[in-house]
Amino acid sequence: MSDKVSGNELANGLTCSINGGVQSIPASPSKTLLTLLRDDFALTGTKRSCDIGRCGACMVLIDGKPFNSCLTMAYQCCGKQITTIEGLSAGGIGSIQQAFLEEGGFQCGYCTPGMIISVKALLDDNPDPSDDEIAEALSGNLCRCTGYGGIWRAVKRAIELIGCQ
Amino acid sequence: MLLNRSGSGGRWRIRPDGPDKVTGALAYLTDMTSEDMLYGLVLRSEHPHAVILAIYTDKAKQLPGVHAVLTYLDVPGLNAFGIAHPDQPVFCEDRARYIGDAIAAVAAESPAIAQQALQLIEVEYEPLQVIDDPEQALLADAPQLHPNGNALHRTTFCKGNTEEGFKQCTYIIEETYYTPRQMHTYMETEGGLFVPEENGRLTVYSPTQHGFMDRLQLSRILAVPQSDIRIVSSPIGGSFGGKDELNVQPYGALLAVRTGRAVKMHNSRRESVRAGLKRHPMKIYMKTGTDAAGKLLAHEVSLLADTGPYSTLGAEVLNFAAEHAIGPYRYEHLDVKGVSVFTNNGMSGEFRGFGGNQSIFALEGQMDRLAERLGMEPWDFRRLNLRKADDPGPFDQPIAMTEGAERVWEAIAKCPLWQERKAMKQLEQFAREPWIKTGIGAAITMHGAGLGVGIPDPAGGRLLLADDGKIEAVFGYEEFGQGLIASLEQMLIEQFGIADGDIRIIIGDTDVVPDSGSTTASRATAMMWKSLQRLRAPFTGQMLERASSIIGFPAGQLRLSEGGIRKIGADELLLTFKELANAEGVPIRCETAFNFPTSATDRVGAHFMYTYSAVAVMVELNTLSGRVRVLQQYHAVAAGPVVNPQGYLGQIEGGSSMALGFTLTEEAVMEKGHYMTRNLDTYLIPTIADQRGTVEVEPIEHLPEDDEYGPRGIGEVGSVTLAPAIAAAIRQASGKWVNRLPVDPGSLQETPFFLNRAVSEG
Ligand code: FES
Ligand code: FES
Repeated sequence: MSDKVSGNELANGLTCSINGGVQSIPASPSKTLLTLLRDDFALTGTKRSCDIGRCGACMVLIDGKPFNSCLTMAYQCCGKQITTIEGLSAGGIGSIQQAFLEEGGFQCGYCTPGMIISVKALLDDNPDPSDDEIAEALSGNLCRCTGYGGIWRAVKRAIELIGCQ
Repeated sequence: MLLNRSGSGGRWRIRPDGPDKVTGALAYLTDMTSEDMLYGLVLRSEHPHAVILAIYTDKAKQLPGVHAVLTYLDVPGLNAFGIAHPDQPVFCEDRARYIGDAIAAVAAESPAIAQQALQLIEVEYEPLQVIDDPEQALLADAPQLHPNGNALHRTTFCKGNTEEGFKQCTYIIEETYYTPRQMHTYMETEGGLFVPEENGRLTVYSPTQHGFMDRLQLSRILAVPQSDIRIVSSPIGGSFGGKDELNVQPYGALLAVRTGRAVKMHNSRRESVRAGLKRHPMKIYMKTGTDAAGKLLAHEVSLLADTGPYSTLGAEVLNFAAEHAIGPYRYEHLDVKGVSVFTNNGMSGEFRGFGGNQSIFALEGQMDRLAERLGMEPWDFRRLNLRKADDPGPFDQPIAMTEGAERVWEAIAKCPLWQERKAMKQLEQFAREPWIKTGIGAAITMHGAGLGVGIPDPAGGRLLLADDGKIEAVFGYEEFGQGLIASLEQMLIEQFGIADGDIRIIIGDTDVVPDSGSTTASRATAMMWKSLQRLRAPFTGQMLERASSIIGFPAGQLRLSEGGIRKIGADELLLTFKELANAEGVPIRCETAFNFPTSATDRVGAHFMYTYSAVAVMVELNTLSGRVRVLQQYHAVAAGPVVNPQGYLGQIEGGSSMALGFTLTEEAVMEKGHYMTRNLDTYLIPTIADQRGTVEVEPIEHLPEDDEYGPRGIGEVGSVTLAPAIAAAIRQASGKWVNRLPVDPGSLQETPFFLNRAVSEG
């Protein structure tokens, strides 16, 4: 555990589903979901970059909706279903990921898991989004490498791939 | 032809590092952990400038869970680092010179304990006058930040006599330009894992752009032989020059050695902002004159760079800025001066474009202003003064000859966007609303690659046939997202005829790779290409000779191919690489080492190889808000053959996005030596919503027939030409000249026409 000093671990713990497996874990009141995922579950596909909800590198799905896990307290996830990039990839490379690969929607890859989570949330909700809707849905995910050209192409391609299924 | 997926056919490939990146499986070095590891944190100065009277660490040391608290007293070797000139203290001894200066470091069992320990360290400071302005730093009575004064470096270049030259000029433009303190904003902040090994060595897993340089610097700090240190430095979540210098490595290494335990460090974004490098803010004065016909006669430049508290590569950046303030034009009289000045502001250092970004913004601004004064088309004016293929470089040095400048000029002259500008009679015809104005602008540049004259610039690599039949390509370069591995794989496939499954690429580990020089200065792809050119004949020769001795056909009839050896012109696989590897004989292995080509001049920093680029943009200005949106970009880039189409496009798109931020929104604001901009809530890089315009890239692959250097670098050039093009477009849209970046929306706001009418009628 990473914050022994702050102590006060909740003896009763918290139960939630992470990538489909039900987990019961003690979570101190000050622990964020991001810390829980990265440090306690070694789910390092979820990244930390700003820690204040501005970059989207830490994006995960909670009951299918995208959330910045750095702003979400672990205890708020009680009873929720959390899906990280590892969960999305459990069945292999999906259409969105395939589209990112084909179109060069990544370079260093550090923003990529969060970006793909946001695209997944968008397309699950709206399989044929307009450019305005894409920009709105992804404007919380910063990418410093690509200039977003490859990301635009990847999202368009993902819409196509999913549409063909 | 434009660069895109459909036009690239089979050459548009999926990156080998892609699957692990899109699934989150890739472990970055800051994702690594080790059982029983400690967490390291650094205490940084409270004051931008202060005498340190005393440091008390007892209370921190006594805190349960704390395993080490280190200060300058605990550095066994050199208490300093810096790539070019080690003058940045690992730990301050008696003086702090910036808000990121390290005073102490702790290793503890949890981040929370480490944080608490930092709070228990007491430091007595005596604050000193803060020098937060380079001009103030140069005044005679300014406090001196270093023994040799506050000027880190001065540079001059003169030719002819500008005083006389200006007398002959009919038109003269004088302007001062200001550029911002831009932050690299790599998404992965600095960090890594530092592991003391059982055999007494230390393994450092931490991003850098030149593992061997880190190894050298850490060996000086730790006072151990370089061979006792192993640096593993890739993969990296972005760098852009910002991780070339040491950052957390000295602290992680010292803490790991002291405690004998693995230590993890990972900067918070706030700490990354506070301690990390930024682009040099510059104030650039230019005076440029032409004769009545528009021929450039005289050009005077004065560069003032705020380099912050320590050297790192400040001098080299200034030399680069001076070279690029001359640029791709010819003048009879030149007088270029520059000074890079120590201040108590944040650290400035290496950043994609390397000082070119600032100079090119100023230089191209001069060209647009002169053209307008002359009543000429700005592009025609540039053509009149543009270098010819066989002209010498900016410092009159010999350079690798190409027609790059003329060809990118032509590409922009012909591109639809520039044609559209010519057709624009009334700007308003484009506007949807009367307060929306549109403009088109363009700019051109030549950008140097390699470290330049006078700086060691080694290159090289190794090919071998491994026991398992893989062809191993081993290079000392780093992958920070640019697609180096993908480009290397593509070159191996295309030049050697083998398949991706036959290849294993090994980079970023000083224990196994040769020193191929730094992965900076747009040099790695060019150097890998050159290495493979040199390795191809000997390596292929060894492989085919060995095959020939096994299967009996003459080597001259054989070829390397997917999976193994085939006869030239035949499909049948005669021998797999695995079988070849298992055969008797000395290991098959070739290595090459050479230097990046340099110019035959003694001008330090002058370049030999250049990439040329030009870009046209269309912007839309909302005069109510003063906000500028870039609607279209057309880039022409002359960099020789396209090694990797997807990577090439990505570099120009990504570089230009960085330039978009530099032009419109990015500035790490400092006040009295403190950062006011501390995280991504106030430091604004472009989002996807800012990048809704089109970006078209036309690569110009032509090189002279006898060219032996192949592909030029493209890692930086996308980031240097956009700012002046946007400024020119804003001029056309608004009638206002921009001389300060990022563009202040307030300066572009106008009173709406209906308010004017209301006032005059009222
Ligand atoms: S780390 Fe959560 S939004 Fe940046
Ligand atoms: S790929 Fe590097 S930040 Fe997006």
